[in-house]
Amino acid sequence: MAKLIAVVCGAGINTSTIAEDQIREKVEREGLRDVEVKRILYPDIERFIGMMTVVVSMTKIFRTDLGAPTVQGMPFLIGTKEEKEALLDKIIQMVKAA
Amino acid sequence: MLQFNESLVALDIEAVEAKAVIDLLAERLHAQGLVSADYGAQTWARELQHPTGLPTKPFCIAFPHADAQGVNQSALAVASLKHAVRFKNMGDPDEDLDVLLVFMLANRDPEEQIATLRNLALLFGQPEKLIALQSRSTSREALTWLRRELRLGEDGKGAAELRKGGSLGA
Repeated sequence: MAKLIAVVCGAGINTSTIAEDQIREKVEREGLRDVEVKRILYPDIERFIGMMTVVVSMTKIFRTDLGAPTVQGMPFLIGTKEEKEALLDKIIQMVKAA
Repeated sequence: MLQFNESLVALDIEAVEAKAVIDLLAERLHAQGLVSADYGAQTWARELQHPTGLPTKPFCIAFPHADAQGVNQSALAVASLKHAVRFKNMGDPDEDLDVLLVFMLANRDPEEQIATLRNLALLFGQPEKLIALQSRSTSREALTWLRRELRLGEDGKGAAELRKGGSLGA
């Protein structure tokens, strides 16, 4: 089954796109196959429980039953180049380990 | 193409609260027909539900926006504030941030503005760039500086430049 990196944000149009773009580019650079990167609105997250490999959250997530490890995606928006790259590496490691 | 011109840059404005800044920028966008009359109200409603304050350094910024509805043409409007106003932190809505710069990106389609979003994220991560923007003394200067940072070009010429150098962290 394909792995899913879910980028979750509040009502997202701009914020999650920024993260999705960087993650998708990294996935391509790493040559990973069968990895999907998808923007998901927080209110819709219920439908994706059980399908997500890693959750990248651009907002505060108040629940712990997502069935996937969650990382805070804020550095994609405001981090330095190094912080962005470090977070990308961490996400890729999590996907590979899953 | 992203609309961004001198009237969409408001420097050193005196606002006492976040809503006033959002209203001012939305009015400027509406005056040029870029967004609907209620875009400010829409954006404020969204801000209350999903705040957009960002804990950047050396001072905080905000990135308010609403859904694509109400946007006729994608556009950017920017304000610098004489005194900080409070926005809630996007990453933690319980936290107040003192914001000095506001970027309102009225976006019709995020895919279309992907390069601009990418360049904004680069800017947000560099304290010296935020200081540089804040220290511009005229709207004209701030506009020219930001258009260059965001690789917007003068008349759409920016696109080719973007394909060459717009990628993040590559």
